[in-house]
Amino acid sequence: MAVLYFALSGLDLLDGLSELDKEERQHIINWIYSLQILPGNDRDEQACAGFRGGTTLASCRGESSCDTVSQLDCGHITMTYTALASLIILGDDLSRVERPAVMAHVAALQCPDGSFFSTRGGSENDMRFMYCAAAICYILQDFSAINTTSATKYILNSMSYEGAMGQGTHLEAHGGSSYCAIATLHLLGKLDSSLSRTQRERLVRWLVERQSGGGLQGRPNKPPDTCYAFWIGATLQILGALDYLDTAALRQFVLSTQDPITGGLAKYPNSNPDGLHTYLGISGLSLLRKDNLKPVDPALNISQQALSHLHQLHKNISKNSTVPC
Amino acid sequence: MGSTANNITTEENTTQAPGEEHDDSLDDGSDGEAWVFYRERKEWADITPVPQDDGPHAVVKIAYTDPFTDVYDYLRAVVVKGELSERALYLTEDAINMNAANYTVWQYRRKILRHLGSDLEQELNFCREMIEMNPKNYQVWHHRRVIVEWLGDGSKELKLTEIIFSQDAKNYHAWEHRQWALKTFKLYDRELDYVDLLLEEDVRNNSAWNQRHFTISQTTGFTKEVIQREVEYTKAAIAKVVDNESPWSYLRGVVQHCEGSLASVGDLWEWCQKMHDEGQCSPHLLTFMLDLMEDRMERQPDLRPTLLKRCLEICESLATKYDRIRREYWRYIERNLSHRFGA
Repeated sequence: MAVLYFALSGLDLLDGLSELDKEERQHIINWIYSLQILPGNDRDEQACAGFRGGTTLASCRGESSCDTVSQLDCGHITMTYTALASLIILGDDLSRVERPAVMAHVAALQCPDGSFFSTRGGSENDMRFMYCAAAICYILQDFSAINTTSATKYILNSMSYEGAMGQGTHLEAHGGSSYCAIATLHLLGKLDSSLSRTQRERLVRWLVERQSGGGLQGRPNKPPDTCYAFWIGATLQILGALDYLDTAALRQFVLSTQDPITGGLAKYPNSNPDGLHTYLGISGLSLLRKDNLKPVDPALNISQQALSHLHQLHKNISKNSTVPC
Repeated sequence: MGSTANNITTEENTTQAPGEEHDDSLDDGSDGEAWVFYRERKEWADITPVPQDDGPHAVVKIAYTDPFTDVYDYLRAVVVKGELSERALYLTEDAINMNAANYTVWQYRRKILRHLGSDLEQELNFCREMIEMNPKNYQVWHHRRVIVEWLGDGSKELKLTEIIFSQDAKNYHAWEHRQWALKTFKLYDRELDYVDLLLEEDVRNNSAWNQRHFTISQTTGFTKEVIQREVEYTKAAIAKVVDNESPWSYLRGVVQHCEGSLASVGDLWEWCQKMHDEGQCSPHLLTFMLDLMEDRMERQPDLRPTLLKRCLEICESLATKYDRIRREYWRYIERNLSHRFGA
């Protein structure tokens, strides 16, 4: 599902979605929905809802399946986020999303310390899934599934002595986790109230210091890596400080990681391209507004156009409902 | 973040390139021996494999090898059956070797281990092998943590992370695991010594500096004496390599634990000034001097005119000479400081 999202959002930013005809688009939308887990009305079953990452276990659901299948065939929070993002990019209206079940799935994954697991079957918990939870809630316009107080506390506790966020308390400050933290606060509408002026200044300084030899590194004294063009770039954009980077030098670095034969972008120059670095490189370049790319929204990591479609859906929902979601 | 920020659970693709002579399609990918299909194994004859259902037209079509399909078709079959046996355990090992990022297979494996009451020490060995082969994979580390929790024995965890650090001293997963083990099993005794060792090997290892801060915060705390000691330690590290962001960051972090002003700890201002006078122009030194002056301007308004002038000179030198890549940022800092401390 994440691979699909990289491909679709990448195509969208390249203004290439028109290459998909209406039938193909609908087909992909149907495939995404086929990965949605449709639980019963039991609250506990709903905790296992959401979207699957792929079809590995899909064929196991049937008459002869047992408890083991329903325990293992659970939604994964990253897949739920990327599924919803993909649906929006394709212009779907989210009407087939089982909202109460998805919200129950998100709520069931929050830990006492405020962070999130990825799946009921058992996983690690850290800032990545916090971001996915916030993105899902924003897309569905329903934050009731998150204890936002404990979530904010977790984020602030993850701020290390360096002034940026690690994956959790005491862990090393990192570009990816800093993005997840700041984007979450922004999506929850708590960015301004959560960070003091000093904290904000120190964070901006840390982010700007990540520029090394043109590119952006994820941590001090590490080599620059294409994907941080998005993680660091988008964080700075949300904080209104993107222009403090040398954007021309950053652009040169990202473009230097292209593979001239197969195409695509890699982590470093002269290494193998992959879907993640290609997408995040493009998304990072889009932030710089120097190439012929559609503008990207830094908080949800979808095009501004897709975001407008989402906002229109939000308007339609509030117009049509008499009871708050 | 690469694989650490977005662990994509795609299945591994071991298709052979067109034109290759050797028939890779029958390899299991690890030891090069010819693959014996589960569908040809007598001891699996009772199981009907369950194919993956991608629908009539697959989206995100992955080119699975025959051995991969074989293993996963059998895995699906035992999952549907709910079989929690030794042979199912063995099957999960093959499935994991083919895609160590498939979190469902790991969950299923844990279910089987619990049901069979398997030897967890042996499982620790398996886990260590998987970690050594896939040190940046989230699932292997999570599995290790679960097994260690079941055993209630963290005695091997420091050694494990040290093995990984010998290959990559900044592996984020290993540091996360090590911090967890230290906290859970109270193993802090020799941690500062270990950090010292790592910093001897590479004074630029930011993860080691972070670990230093963590260890002190969990043991002695940043008392006046500890702050003094750490300031001297860090100054010595800076003397070795001045243009190294990590110890400057750490220094800032340590003195911030002080109640007094930034410059109240030892002779930080004089020490900076001396380096500056000797012609040292590392942006980290200059930035630290800016921070010391900013802190002073906050506390002593009468010093603002003189200090602001110096600050603006430093910002200018950073923007035009010593840290040109961040010139837009330094211009912003000039405006910011002028606004806050100007007349």
